[in-house]
Amino acid sequence: MAQVVFSTWGGDIVDNRNVSGEPQAVSYRLPVAFDGQRPLRAFMGWDGIILFDKDVDVPAMTAEYMKRVQTLYCCGKCTPGKKGTKVLMDLFQNVLAGEATDADLDKVEDLAELLKNCKCTLCQSATVPVFDAVKHYRAEFQAYLNPACRTKAPAARYIHKITAPCMDKCPAHIDIPKYIEAIKNYQMDQSLATIRENMPLPAVCGRVCPHPCESACRRKNVDDAINIMVLKRTASDYERLHNVMPQQATKAKKDKSVGIVGAGPAGLAAAYYLALEGYPCTIYETLPEGYGGGMVAVGIPAYRMPRTILQRDIDIIQSVGVEIVYNCRVGTDITLAELRQKHAAVFIAPGAHTSKPMGVAGEEKGYKGFLTGGINFLRDAYLGKPTGMGKKVVVVGGGNTAIDCVRVALREGAEVSCLVYRRSRKEMPADVWEVDGADEEGVKFEFQVLPTKIIVNEKEEVTGVECVRMALGEPDASGRRRPEPMPGSEFIIECDTVIPAIGQDMDLSFIPADMGIDITKWNTVITKSLPLKDAAGKDLKDSMGNPLSRTLMTDCDGVFAGGDAEIGPLTVVACVGNAHRAATVIQRWLEEGQAYLSEQDIFDDVLTYLGVYDKDEQVPWLDSAERANQKEIHGCERAARGNYREVELGFSDNTAQAEAERCLRCYRMAMVVV
Amino acid sequence: MVTLTIDGKEIQVPKGTTILDAAAKLGIIIPTLCWLKKVSTTGACRICIVDIAGVDRPMTACNTPVKEGISVTTTTPKLEETRKKTLELMLVNHPLDCPVCDAGGECNLQDACYSLKVDKNDYSAALERLPIRYDWKLLESDPNRCILCEKCVKVCREVVGREAIEAVDRGDNTIIDTVTRQNLDCDFCGNCIGACPTGTLISKPFKFKGRPWTFDVTSGVCAFCSSGCQIEYHAKNGRIERVTSADDGFNRGNLCINGRFGYAAFNSPDRLTSPLMKDDSGQLRKASWDQALGAAAARLKDAAAASQGGGIAGIGSPRVTSEESYLFQKFMRGALGSNNIDSEARLGYLPSQVLQWEMLGYSGGTYTMDAIEKATAVIVIGADLKAESAGFAYRVIQAATKNDAKLVLAGSRYTSMNKYANAFLHCSPGSEAWMVAGLNKAVLAKRPATAGDVTGFDALKSSLDAISFDRVSEITGISEAQFLETAALVCSGGCTAVIYGADLIRSADSRNAVAGTVDLALLTGAVTEAGGGIYPLDEKNNTQGMLDMGICPEYLPGFRTYGHAAAAFGSAWNATIPVTPGKDLFQIIDAIEAGQIKALYVMGNDPLHFMPNRTRVMKALQKLELLVVQDVFMTDTAKLAHVVLPAAIGAEKSGSFTSADNRVQSFKAAVVPAGESRSDADILIALHALVASETAHGQNSLDVLHHEIAALTGLYSEVCDQSGCHIGRIKNRTTKFTCVPLTPLAPLPATRPFALTIGPVLHHNGSMTSRSENNMLVAGEAYVEISSQDAASVGVAAGDLLKITSDAGSISLKARLSEQLHSGALFVPSHFRDAAVTTLTGSASFPQYVSLAKG
Repeated sequence: MAQVVFSTWGGDIVDNRNVSGEPQAVSYRLPVAFDGQRPLRAFMGWDGIILFDKDVDVPAMTAEYMKRVQTLYCCGKCTPGKKGTKVLMDLFQNVLAGEATDADLDKVEDLAELLKNCKCTLCQSATVPVFDAVKHYRAEFQAYLNPACRTKAPAARYIHKITAPCMDKCPAHIDIPKYIEAIKNYQMDQSLATIRENMPLPAVCGRVCPHPCESACRRKNVDDAINIMVLKRTASDYERLHNVMPQQATKAKKDKSVGIVGAGPAGLAAAYYLALEGYPCTIYETLPEGYGGGMVAVGIPAYRMPRTILQRDIDIIQSVGVEIVYNCRVGTDITLAELRQKHAAVFIAPGAHTSKPMGVAGEEKGYKGFLTGGINFLRDAYLGKPTGMGKKVVVVGGGNTAIDCVRVALREGAEVSCLVYRRSRKEMPADVWEVDGADEEGVKFEFQVLPTKIIVNEKEEVTGVECVRMALGEPDASGRRRPEPMPGSEFIIECDTVIPAIGQDMDLSFIPADMGIDITKWNTVITKSLPLKDAAGKDLKDSMGNPLSRTLMTDCDGVFAGGDAEIGPLTVVACVGNAHRAATVIQRWLEEGQAYLSEQDIFDDVLTYLGVYDKDEQVPWLDSAERANQKEIHGCERAARGNYREVELGFSDNTAQAEAERCLRCYRMAMVVV
Repeated sequence: MVTLTIDGKEIQVPKGTTILDAAAKLGIIIPTLCWLKKVSTTGACRICIVDIAGVDRPMTACNTPVKEGISVTTTTPKLEETRKKTLELMLVNHPLDCPVCDAGGECNLQDACYSLKVDKNDYSAALERLPIRYDWKLLESDPNRCILCEKCVKVCREVVGREAIEAVDRGDNTIIDTVTRQNLDCDFCGNCIGACPTGTLISKPFKFKGRPWTFDVTSGVCAFCSSGCQIEYHAKNGRIERVTSADDGFNRGNLCINGRFGYAAFNSPDRLTSPLMKDDSGQLRKASWDQALGAAAARLKDAAAASQGGGIAGIGSPRVTSEESYLFQKFMRGALGSNNIDSEARLGYLPSQVLQWEMLGYSGGTYTMDAIEKATAVIVIGADLKAESAGFAYRVIQAATKNDAKLVLAGSRYTSMNKYANAFLHCSPGSEAWMVAGLNKAVLAKRPATAGDVTGFDALKSSLDAISFDRVSEITGISEAQFLETAALVCSGGCTAVIYGADLIRSADSRNAVAGTVDLALLTGAVTEAGGGIYPLDEKNNTQGMLDMGICPEYLPGFRTYGHAAAAFGSAWNATIPVTPGKDLFQIIDAIEAGQIKALYVMGNDPLHFMPNRTRVMKALQKLELLVVQDVFMTDTAKLAHVVLPAAIGAEKSGSFTSADNRVQSFKAAVVPAGESRSDADILIALHALVASETAHGQNSLDVLHHEIAALTGLYSEVCDQSGCHIGRIKNRTTKFTCVPLTPLAPLPATRPFALTIGPVLHHNGSMTSRSENNMLVAGEAYVEISSQDAASVGVAAGDLLKITSDAGSISLKARLSEQLHSGALFVPSHFRDAAVTTLTGSASFPQYVSLAKG
């Protein structure tokens, strides 16, 4: 078990340097070996220093850290940051050169205090570990001033990573502070260019992203999170409303092509980043032309994601050299093996388009009015096909798809649209604003209710659904209270349509067993991962239970997988982030014959595991600028039959600019010694 | 309103106010270095920190909004110490070259260090000097002096809309440089220099011209375009060495290249410094004022006497002061008895303003141009705003970026404003009238109600009903859908402003084009109290004032008709004024050719430069028995003159200019006239005295003149609504409006394959700045802009010579390739005298059809 030699992380001093007895036991959410191989000897960042190896040269590490902050990341746009980190950098360089004095070391504290007045967090947070180092390793610094006293430390390799709480939390790792700063500076084009570096669907993720970034926004510790998502939408809207086509430099065309299964967020994102690198990409999409976008198209109703605006994002992706072959189902119209033959690499991103069964009596009987699933219902509605929906609709489920179904049902002409969910409202996995939106449109809710049986008439038409009321018991593994049926509370909801919307599943039947591609018991594709372990020897996992750091190449060389089919059903932004990584790994595989993760990729995962945002951090700031929320169309007319007009209206440019001014620009730099 | 306490004093301010502004209201000045009112806050210097009770860190006052109930402390020993230490950090490696720094004596950093008593530095770092940009034109940048306040960057981006400079690199190496780090290519407006608090960005022409405090500084009004920017002339030894503008003035310290650097024309070695007279051999030779004035007066008087004034004509100037224009027409009408007075405004601005007057009851802009910033929709038709009148461009940028205004551009040319446009109606050259009709039709389709008290609405409506979108699209190249989408934008907000410029005013069917534009202003409510106004543009500083003063054959000053007002003017002037309108510019040339006009008095203009068909005009001028030219430079026309009278330039005289938005601003002379030159007013008064038997003109002081002008013209309101406006404002708030039906003329067949437009471009104003070495340094020669596609088919590359031939003549210019120009369209800048571009034009309107050949 890796021993913590010394730590100031989070302000808690752990000093095992000179303990005679049992060292203080402490563990951090860090892998023992940075990449599964090289031991992580020390970690240095915004919250202090952690040493796992007593032989780490702390003064050298400190000097290196400050040098990287000053020369690589300090934006120079405030006096304490620009000049203060320069003075500190040179001070430590002087220490290493033996040219400093002991009095110089005293200036570190003075400067750390002065840098609290920095404009943003980068330089300011950089003084934290530096100050800790000087304070607790002063003798080592002093030793440098007198070369005779110094013992030579072993060579060290430093790896650093710039991050921010929001950036870290965003699965696509968009440089959020940078794009917000550009909006603040009236540079919508620059903002959007920054967004596109990690998010090729800005109009989409400016609208329908569950924005995990906002849950990690440090401004929340002052008042409310920055409206990061709508700022992204603003930059994207600006481009569209000014009739601009972005200038995107693509590299020289390569002779190796990539075949991609599915034109959803993952397929599109991987294609976009590979095409920018010069690789011709062909996406094979089951749906017809005009319905690209995967689940964003057929799973997200047009009142949330207008089709023309989605199509514009797709058009821009195609403009860099991406071909989409529509009406082509891999496995039927072309086999995966043929794709593997045809292209130098294949990326599988089919999404999760199958509805999970509800587990209710009668659901397998094919009753008229019992629809096959929420996702199928949404798709049919989107494609303008008959949905089989009647006038009184019951949707079962508590996620965003269920909410989309009840809201779409109204727009498809339902007289009654009712959502049935077995837990309470506040435990719904659906986004709060989506639930509120449904409420405003006149959707009925039945909470803590479990459907038990489909009621039909003699013609086997649905006439109702029998339900039982649920009581909430002890919390389960998810932390939510477990619902339990209340005996004798059975009742019937009259309806002519039941739509189960309790979850999606992947259809991976197109992957032949003989290709060597492994599939988990949760029906996701297995990809290669790094053996990252914690101090207790346990494998590090991501929030979905997958290995933390994955190359995304399957066990079949040259075949990669991503999106919902690799992660498990998640979000657009998660799929984009995952596919962007896949694209970079595919490129390495095509160019170097090896599918590996860079140190920056690994560091991304390591930081995500560690967590950059601290909800308990005290952020001293005046809470005088309130969060701006976008306007929306109100009233139940917005859900009138056939009315798929967008409900949310975005920001005006100036509201966006003012909202951007609220951003605290919480950059910070982490560095490891290996 | 929010109530808060600052240093123990309570104050109420609107929500969103910054602590800095709230403190200023209490008279508490918080020190700043990076704060600049006219741009968004930066928060870079960290000097304006204040304490707020309950907040565990100092907050910057400049960008922190107030909050109800907070208690702010602006000064404590700790804050003072932190400010001082921050300044010490700022001074780490700051060069101590104050003795040769341009900012010495007007440096905000010096002032801040002095006032905070920074006399030592506890901090130090390795010294690495950054290279100084000596290679830029007009500007020099010494990044070592930079405190990274970003004022320059923000002014360039937010005010000028150029984004030429940016903070680049990282850490202590962060400097202000061009985005690409290549040579500077920008508007060269120098507003970054104006914003720089230190000597980082400096004016190269001003470098080593003197310490700032050694100059005489005089407030003035810029004498270049029609924006009427307020400036300060810095003069030394009788020379203007610098022009600046204060941020608290009307134009917020924002100028263009002409305003900031065009003064070099004043100091040009080409200035006329003594009177000249043609000797018997036809050579112009130096003469005394008495000789020149005596000869001019005697010969003008004789010519007038011989023809009862009909044989004599005068061409006035949009450059001179309104008072001088008034004196010019008074001399022509009162002393010489001739109404044959006209100017270059005849080519477009005058007829457009006569039409606007008929429809709205006033010429020029509805409101002062700052009203544009509050518009929710701005329509710019046929104008290259920055080239014609940069002040308007800056206002439109503010509306578009800081007021969320929808911007609609309509015209045959792509301009620098396109980056802000929500819609661009890109019409084929010459189809402007059709495009405007199409836009009216679309607006009516979107919002059929009439706006306000408008007569003639039904006639307009039926005239538009008679035009089909198919026909409009066929002629303009703009689809019905584009018109309707644009109309939706125009109708989206409540406050619309309409701006129109030279490409419209001088378009093929300018009457319908202008009438349609004014109709559009009526339909969109632009000219109502709630509207954003209508604004015609002209390239020159006092075109509006010149017309107001009666420099046209059809009206007396104040647009008074002869029938109504000749008697009143006559009696005030103690003269008899002919009561029939005189000849216009074109008729004057005809009459010279016909031998009816034998004497011509040209003041402050160069007909050979602006009149269509240079060859023909040259012949006519050569035929004159007497040509008197009064100018600041030896123009091509002056070279033909019998008497040349050297005149003073804008900075050398007092008077007033009226901007295109009807601001009347008076100013005092900053320097004395160059050499022996005299102000146009002085020359006119002297001539008048010599010609008229009786001189009631001995007391032509400005005050007396103003009184006379105000009384006779009735133009000025008594109340001035702008600071710096010392006379008043042109009365123009009428409420009776008339729509004019639109019957655009069928386009004329193209007689040659290319459609040529000539007009103003960025970096110049009129031909005046072609005398400024500063302007010439960044834009030194004429060129012909051609679409890349056409260039390929003609077989020319950028920089190759292209021979342009029209029915009137032929010239050769270097080709400049454009991706935005329509195929078949050409553009040539109008400013460069050497290019003699009017050789090509057969009339005043555009396009002119030409052929192209290599070489």
